[in-house]
Amino acid sequence: MLNFPFWKVGLILTILLWGAVLAIPNALSDGFLGIAPKEPSDPSNEVAMAAYTQQLQEAEDSWWFLPSGKLNLGLDLQGGVYLLMEIDPAEIAANRLETVQSDIRSSLNRSPLVERNPPVQNEDRLTIEILNPEEDMDEAVKRLNRLNPTIGTTQTNLFTVDRTGDRFIQLTVPNNARTALAADAQSKMMEIIRRRIDPDGVAEISITPQGDNRIILEAPGEADPKRIKDILGQAGRLTFNMANLDQSAIRAAVTSGRPPPQEELVDSIDYGQILINRIPELTGADIATANRCFDEANFPAVCFRLNSSAATKFYNLTRNNMNRNFAIVLDGTSMSSPTIRSPIPGGNVIIEGRFTIEEAEDLSAIIEAGELPAKLNFLDERTVGPTLGQESIAAGSRASMIGLALVGVFMILAYGLVGGFAVGSLMSNIVLIIGALSGFGATLTLPGIAGIILTIGMAVDANVIVFERIREEQANGRSPATAIQAGYERALSAILDANITTFIAASILYMVGSGPVKGFAVTLAIGILTSVFTAFVVTRWFTVLYLRTFRPKRLAM
Amino acid sequence: MLLRLWPEKTKVSFMNLRFIALIVSVTALIASAALLGMRGLNLGIDFAGGAVIEITEPADISADDIRAAVQPLITGEVQVNSARGTGPDAPDIAVIRFKPQPPVGDETPDEAQNRAGDEVNAALKALVDGDRTAENSRFEIRSEASVGPKVSGELFRSGIIALTVALTLMMIYISFRFQWQYALGAVVALFHDVILTMGMFALTGFEFNLATIAALLTIVGYSMNDTVIVFDRVREEARKYKKLELSKVVDLAINATMSRTLLTSGTTLLALLSIFLFGGPVLRGMSFALIFGVVVGTYSSIFVASAVVLLLGIDRGDKPKREVEGFQGVS
Repeated sequence: MLNFPFWKVGLILTILLWGAVLAIPNALSDGFLGIAPKEPSDPSNEVAMAAYTQQLQEAEDSWWFLPSGKLNLGLDLQGGVYLLMEIDPAEIAANRLETVQSDIRSSLNRSPLVERNPPVQNEDRLTIEILNPEEDMDEAVKRLNRLNPTIGTTQTNLFTVDRTGDRFIQLTVPNNARTALAADAQSKMMEIIRRRIDPDGVAEISITPQGDNRIILEAPGEADPKRIKDILGQAGRLTFNMANLDQSAIRAAVTSGRPPPQEELVDSIDYGQILINRIPELTGADIATANRCFDEANFPAVCFRLNSSAATKFYNLTRNNMNRNFAIVLDGTSMSSPTIRSPIPGGNVIIEGRFTIEEAEDLSAIIEAGELPAKLNFLDERTVGPTLGQESIAAGSRASMIGLALVGVFMILAYGLVGGFAVGSLMSNIVLIIGALSGFGATLTLPGIAGIILTIGMAVDANVIVFERIREEQANGRSPATAIQAGYERALSAILDANITTFIAASILYMVGSGPVKGFAVTLAIGILTSVFTAFVVTRWFTVLYLRTFRPKRLAM
Repeated sequence: MLLRLWPEKTKVSFMNLRFIALIVSVTALIASAALLGMRGLNLGIDFAGGAVIEITEPADISADDIRAAVQPLITGEVQVNSARGTGPDAPDIAVIRFKPQPPVGDETPDEAQNRAGDEVNAALKALVDGDRTAENSRFEIRSEASVGPKVSGELFRSGIIALTVALTLMMIYISFRFQWQYALGAVVALFHDVILTMGMFALTGFEFNLATIAALLTIVGYSMNDTVIVFDRVREEARKYKKLELSKVVDLAINATMSRTLLTSGTTLLALLSIFLFGGPVLRGMSFALIFGVVVGTYSSIFVASAVVLLLGIDRGDKPKREVEGFQGVS
């Protein structure tokens, strides 16, 4: 216990140094660490550009040997928006079944005619009535089975085909297909969410899956959850439909409630309500890029470009329908319904509306990102403003400093010099905790800071156990060296048992907790490991060094 | 002269006090259970759902103005509490709370909660915008949280599961390292601590939320830590004095570890006190739970855990091979 050969001392120093190197970056600026600064979005802003140049210079002169990882601050400390969203698997199943309906109908209605009425969809069940069941039933089942698509990259089929009664076939989305659909939709939607919220790919947004059908969005620095929910709350289904602006036809459809077959009534931003063709000419999938631009009157607008095949289609459409109107419809509302004056080549389209710049930017991000396969339900939403985050950081650091000082004074009062050794190892303990948190890229939350402070209080426990033992052994008349030897040996099993049980609690907390609570569990767990090391190894080493150098007759404690 | 919280070489007979402790503990447990049953816990939005919005309160807008603006949008009561800002120059703060909202039409309960949150947010902005003076320009939404009924139910369940799993695993570990009597003693003490802490929450009306569950688990860890230290000593003394009556052995162990128990509780309480006083309002409930828990945990490792072991008795050396050795010999 009292032997510290060179390799052991080397190991202790290496661990302490490693902790210090990992912890140091937290006290330095980004530039110092060689983290390239972000280029200002507006190059004409001289102040921003000057700061940028200086940071760039700092980054070049940085200390190459320092790691660049700083502690990640949780949203409760740096401010931001947390959103937990859910996709309803039944809804995805129903939506997907609806999209294959037109394929089903065209497949069944090839001669011989096998369908009697349009199929009836009830959530994720589709019922088809066959006109001449005696002759056509087998053929219809065969065709439906051939048509049955697989989901994503899996081998799972979308539906099962069952005969019900004499004349009906029922298509059902089974449970395993639902699961596959949800998993497929989850990854697709995470991608769409990222493109909508962060079209330029510059923000530090984290989008993570949770379970089979949930998605967590964390947007640091964002202060307005409403805007994010607005952007994500829209399905983003964009279509181009031929439109009918004839006032008398629209009025007739509104009063009778029955628009002409093949047409439907939609709300329109500039005309109240208009009639459009049910079947769209183009959809969102045909759009290559979309961005915010300005119209001729210099109002913000959304410009987009169609991909090449859609551009040709659009050119033909405009050429064949001169002086008629088409409508650009987003989620059931016509955004614009211009009259075609001349054929439009090149596939460039502009939506003029009375947008603000921000609205135009959000809308173009929604259009470019594409349609969400299902609606997102917002389950849990938490926002912390920047001021509260700053205050929490200040309060947390103040509490840590005061806690550390109190515990330090207390230990020195109780154990004198060796108490001082314990305080020294407590400091190295904190450096190790911060180093380990930075090294693992863990997130520091406010409860996490509380975890560190709690560790400060509890970390001295191992020291106290040992010191009490040493006191006892000295009181029994042993010399300092043998007392220390015996003290450490006898305290070991108690210290390990005690800390392993606390570690169990911390691990459970980590597995079950979320967000800030998880941060608490991480610091608690890391704190237990480092405090056992510092109390049992570092303090002992200090004590032994003192013993060797001064050879005291008796340890004052 | 160095500080002594506990004199050396004491021979206090703690186990003679165990019947008094039993009365104290049972009374406290019954009181806690009664409080939990009658008053219940003040569940935070993590577990009850609903919304909490914290804003800086402009000087010429009162809590009543805010209530008047928000109440029409909300089913059920809207609570508005004003508080002084922390710091000399800080603006006052208003905290607005309301319960989960009933769905209208074909909304789901989660959608209803969301809609209400958005409407209140807009109403607050309008209230301040409609009356913007220099004083009001510091208006800010400091924090906003809205939890739907689906997630709050899940969070509650996972909190309970966490507590149960942690207790079970610790019990298994202790029975593996000691004997089952010790494990049972430790777990009885842990339940004692958890129930009393929850009773304290019912009594004071402090908000019970996810952070409180974290605090409870930490208390469980701390109390177990304390208990293990005493047990370790009991095991050691029992080996040393094979003929001594068990209650005397337990007393010896508690006396020997008393100084350590008080010192560690002391430093932990100092650290916790600094969180409670200086760590800001967000950590107040959590640190309150921890402070209470540390005190109760220290008490229970002496008077509950040890007393249960004494009641159950332990195997003493007649089957020495079954005794699990410690980690001794590792250096």
